[in-house]
Amino acid sequence: MRLIIREDPTTVGDYIANYICKRINEFEPTPQRPFVLGLPTGSSPIPTYKSLIALVKEKKLSFKNVVTFNMDEYVGLPRDHPESYHTFMFREFFSHIDIPPSQVNILDGNAEDLISECKTYENRIKEYGGIELFLGGIGEDGHIAFNEPGSSLASRTRIKTLAYDTILANARFFNNDISAVPRMALTVGVATVLDSREVVVVVTGQRKALALSKAIEDGVNHLWTLSALQLHPWALIVVDEDATAELHVKTVKYFKSIERVQDEVERTQALLKARGKIAEKQVGSLE
Amino acid sequence: MTSANGLICFTNCLLPQEDGSLVEKDLWIDEQRGIILDSQKTFYVNKERPARIIDLGGNILSPGLIDMQINGAYGFDFSVYENDEAYQRGVQMVAERIVETGVTSLLPTVITQEKSIYPKLLGLLKPFSTPTSATFLGWHAEGPFIELTKRGAHAPAYLLPATDGFKAFEEVYGAVNLTEGEDWIMSRDSNPAVRMITAAPEVPGVMNALEESVKRGIIFSIGHSVASTDVATSAIQHGARLITHLFNAMPQLHHRDPSIIGLLGASPHLASPIPISVHLPCNLLEMLPLELPGVASPVFELSSPSPNRKELSWSGINTPKTPSKHQSRPSLHLEKGQIADMSFERPFYGIIVDGIHCHPNSVRLAYSSHPDGCILITDAMKILDPHLKDGVHEWRDGKRFIKEGERLYLEGTTTLAGSVVTLDKCVRNFSMFTGCSLGEAIKCATYNPAKCLGIENKKGTLRPQAHADFTVFDRQGVVLATWVRGKEVWTRSI
Repeated sequence: MRLIIREDPTTVGDYIANYICKRINEFEPTPQRPFVLGLPTGSSPIPTYKSLIALVKEKKLSFKNVVTFNMDEYVGLPRDHPESYHTFMFREFFSHIDIPPSQVNILDGNAEDLISECKTYENRIKEYGGIELFLGGIGEDGHIAFNEPGSSLASRTRIKTLAYDTILANARFFNNDISAVPRMALTVGVATVLDSREVVVVVTGQRKALALSKAIEDGVNHLWTLSALQLHPWALIVVDEDATAELHVKTVKYFKSIERVQDEVERTQALLKARGKIAEKQVGSLE
Repeated sequence: MTSANGLICFTNCLLPQEDGSLVEKDLWIDEQRGIILDSQKTFYVNKERPARIIDLGGNILSPGLIDMQINGAYGFDFSVYENDEAYQRGVQMVAERIVETGVTSLLPTVITQEKSIYPKLLGLLKPFSTPTSATFLGWHAEGPFIELTKRGAHAPAYLLPATDGFKAFEEVYGAVNLTEGEDWIMSRDSNPAVRMITAAPEVPGVMNALEESVKRGIIFSIGHSVASTDVATSAIQHGARLITHLFNAMPQLHHRDPSIIGLLGASPHLASPIPISVHLPCNLLEMLPLELPGVASPVFELSSPSPNRKELSWSGINTPKTPSKHQSRPSLHLEKGQIADMSFERPFYGIIVDGIHCHPNSVRLAYSSHPDGCILITDAMKILDPHLKDGVHEWRDGKRFIKEGERLYLEGTTTLAGSVVTLDKCVRNFSMFTGCSLGEAIKCATYNPAKCLGIENKKGTLRPQAHADFTVFDRQGVVLATWVRGKEVWTRSI
């Protein structure tokens, strides 16, 4: 696992956007071999989306050959409801980039048969050959997607009841009316996320500090579902200074040193590649 | 240039909202169908996104301006009839050229005429547009049922009373032009159809004709009138929804009888259940249904001046067409910022914002008292033409105008004879005069008139399914381009 620490949410967003841009461009996606990207909603990824939109407008990045899968959607909320994740994704991201609508996948929380909707979703991911990079955020209780504390770390896409914490946190989007917050959601499972070849998680703000510490400094634990990331071979967490508040100094220093070494290795590898010493594509970090 | 899939996305622009705000947002349209799209639905359901993207460079993409009071333009007078062909040619010419002022919809005014001319003229003014022109929405008959002493430039010899009530209207305007909306339009093109009459409610018979006109979907506007407060209020209660060129051709504001202008400040206290007028010139009381309400309010009982008045109920005031909107609060309330509900809505008012017909202070005064009713109009004469020079110009009946900048006089008099201001100039003026934001000024020339005319689903709005008529303004209110039904029809040459 790598942990990248940046000054504030904006620089975190820029870092991740540049990183995703580089990954997509190096992948050289085509219509036959699209780049499959998993996407979150919520406030933490907004700076990343803003930065990605800017890259598209500057023509440094295109989503023409990118297929996206979103993490989750409320059950029973009309698709055009201002708080639906369909609306969020369209407003914050899809309307501003060049992705063809047919390449966008979001769970349908209004499907008649919710179980079959979840199964189909998993199958569709498989048909595309799995997710190349899953971008995620976390809740204050350490949940990734709607995998609330206590969710199975082997879970797949399914119906989930929202934790009371999450309902309270989301009430601000529903006129502070707790009864208006949907009680259920469809969400990809922890295992669905872990199956993707790479996971990038954005964690910003002091309120997420404890969750971050639990996820990376304690053991794997279904009460902090992000901690399952410890089992993933290629995970990247990008955080701002505020989010590190609960980490040990030692932990922070360690990850900062990894970043320096990683940069160095990438530089040498790039040089080797330029001199034609590396033929095949290399993916992955040091680990 | 057209779009490969017929869809266009406007980006990097400010969109005026129906509440007067400006928000940075994209807008998607279907250029073939000439309508605004629900972009999110287009994306998720139709799985389409616009092939053509237009970057507006941070400028304002406004709904096309609506001028609901205009007498003519580019040398053509909507009130002059020679023959059908010449008239239709004139209408088309104005429709094609007016777009340079940002106007995409207009309601042509026919001022007081010799009465035999009306049926023909109004019949010719069916909704009209070409693919590259502004839309003529229908007609506005200003007169002949107006007050002699407030006639302005209207010919005194042609003024009439409406002694037979609605029959008199039918006789003058032509029964066929006053049929129920659906029948009148006949050919169902997608343009909304508007008919409007300006009359003085105190002229004998007009109050009787008012209600029937409203029932048939004709908009009634109070103007060229000396109506007292009571009569003016009663006209609103009977369905009048507009005041024609506020401040002009009406009594000036008198604090003891604020008359028509006073409607802008209609008190919730007086606008409440008690029927206002006892001295109506027409036979008003007979028109009201005389059922007793189930429960009479105590306030009502106390303030009833006569046993006879008691029989008039709250619901009796409201015609069946305008079912009881709000009932006034029977008691005082404690909610700061809330205004006690009105038993009727205050009327819209057209206001000429050329800085001449209304002093900027008066414009601000009106706007402050009733912002949602404010509608910018040009009331422009036929010599409206942004390219026209100052000097003497022909009117009709041998009379002549003198144009000095935006001032227009009858030759040899100091009588103001309409204006030559363009509507886009009115928008800028209005923002200057009142200090309101450009978005709020735009609302007064787009959404407010559309709402008054009942066409706010099609015009004056950026709602999905509305017509893709746009005025592109820079951030100082200068028109840069005009779009009609999804096509750019005019651009400022630099």
